[in-house]
Amino acid sequence: MERRAAAPVAGVGLIALAAATLPLITRDSYYLDVATTILMNLTLTMSFRLQVSTGQINMAHISFMGIGAYASALLVTRVGLSFWATLWLGALVAALLAVPIGSVALRVSGPYYFLITFAFSEVVRLFFNNFFEGLFGGPSGLVGIPKPGRLLGLVFDGKPALYGLMAVLCLIVVVALVRLDYSRFGLTAGAIRQADLVAETLGVNVFRYKLTAFVLGSFVAGLAGVFFAHFRQVLHSSDFGLEPMVLLVVFTVIGGTGSVWGPVIGTIVMTLASELLRELHHYEILVFGAVLILTMLFAPEGLVALSGAARRRLRRLRGRAPAQAGAGLAP
Amino acid sequence: MSSELLVQALLNGFGLAMVYVLVALGLTLIFSILEIINFAHGEFYMLGGYVTYYVYALSGLNYFATLVLAILTVGVAGVVAERLIFHDLRGKALNAFIVSLGLLWVMQAGAQLAFGVLDKPVPSAFSGVVRVLGLVMSVERLVVTLSAIVLIVALYLFLRLSRPGRAMRAVAQDPDAAALQGVNIDAVSALGFGVGCALAGGAGGLLAPLFAVSPAMGALPVVKAFIIIIVGGMGSLPGAVLGGLLLGGVEGLGALFMGSAAVNILGFLMVIVVLLVRPRGLVGGA
Repeated sequence: MERRAAAPVAGVGLIALAAATLPLITRDSYYLDVATTILMNLTLTMSFRLQVSTGQINMAHISFMGIGAYASALLVTRVGLSFWATLWLGALVAALLAVPIGSVALRVSGPYYFLITFAFSEVVRLFFNNFFEGLFGGPSGLVGIPKPGRLLGLVFDGKPALYGLMAVLCLIVVVALVRLDYSRFGLTAGAIRQADLVAETLGVNVFRYKLTAFVLGSFVAGLAGVFFAHFRQVLHSSDFGLEPMVLLVVFTVIGGTGSVWGPVIGTIVMTLASELLRELHHYEILVFGAVLILTMLFAPEGLVALSGAARRRLRRLRGRAPAQAGAGLAP
Repeated sequence: MSSELLVQALLNGFGLAMVYVLVALGLTLIFSILEIINFAHGEFYMLGGYVTYYVYALSGLNYFATLVLAILTVGVAGVVAERLIFHDLRGKALNAFIVSLGLLWVMQAGAQLAFGVLDKPVPSAFSGVVRVLGLVMSVERLVVTLSAIVLIVALYLFLRLSRPGRAMRAVAQDPDAAALQGVNIDAVSALGFGVGCALAGGAGGLLAPLFAVSPAMGALPVVKAFIIIIVGGMGSLPGAVLGGLLLGGVEGLGALFMGSAAVNILGFLMVIVVLLVRPRGLVGGA
């Protein structure tokens, strides 16, 4: 029990420490850019994993990032609100739209849920791309989004300041989601993922849990979207298409969906790997694809489960545990 | 608007839809046997296109002989893929998703390195148009549509009458019961995956003269195939044909009213509506 309570504090502390030391080591804009992207992806993968924790692979997750981004961009440029208001308003718009969309999509499950959410994401993307061009900018994108305004005398125009803002946002999200995962909600979500019928018969309102995870996840995605809009200052519908969504799934699953720390490991390792592989030019995608296949074949529960698997293997070699000890689900 | 225009629009939609049904049938066959969704399916379609380019366009072999060769080559590639990477992933949807994604990237990047990034044109095998009752269709599209229908019928007969085909249906219904009856699950899975890929390869060969061959050519048909199998019901072969006809009709008619980019939204809206009314697709079982 003590270990359960200590692990999240240590994990969050480690992320906070790493995020805080980076700007002390380097002010190079490339490294800060990569680090900001990692933190942005982290909020996305952790909120995606919140939904996976109830057993749902939501392929429209990236669309709620897009909804938050477009909502905030329009509220700032057209209505004249401050970034610090739209940061929450944009996320709120994403969460509000998540209620009807989630209610509809969650009526189906398994591969059908996967595909209906994919259909939703394409509808949202094509909507931003082909309709109301005056408002959303159409295929050429929405341009001229200002950077965040002043807050409490702080100016957010350089890379280090924006990195700091993303780091604070990310830490808030990490603390909230880790607390949630170690709470009653997290336990119930795990029960739903492993055996939703049993959970239902024990009196859990499975639909409401799934919808709550969907709406909460969408709120966080919207938050990341608002930051994205004012960080990049340009929005294209393809920023929220299949390709970035697929990368989110890859980060999360490679890290491991059984633990709240899986997406953290996966996002950091895979983002760094893709930056390093960039040196290989033409072979980058080839190697990246091969890495995916091999990881899933040799570490089917993700990187985060590797240490446990290695320990079991070691014990088996010493002949202390029966061979089937490794067959269970990741905790 | 004249009724002729409407019928012509429907005909245009149905013609290509039959080829996409082939892609969808492969996808749904693999899903029913292995319980996984193969996202690299479009890359097997691409492989069929390249076989056609090298054997028919460059070496000048007969069009139909090339088609058979494309089907066989891609079928073998499918068996190899199943044996090497997919055989342990039965029912593990999330892991299979990542693995097939990896395969997609490996195959696309591999094609770029091996065949180059530029589009390769494949000349038409047939010229001229057919006119019946005021409707116009090019001979080429007619041949492509009819060939697709022949392949669909052949698949139906194979699954109904042949021993391996019946074993596939048995595994799709209940793998354990099939194994108890002496069906070799490993062999059936490999063969089923191969047949599924072969269908995609055939479709790629059929459409190669209509659209140019390129490493990324698999993306569009595979999205259409997904729409078709969700609308029709995953794992259902008649459903795939019905879904293909519906998609072809909706897109054909939609092309009368909106641009080709906007038409794509219709298929996805159809998916959402169908899943709301019948969550398992139109012909899907319990």
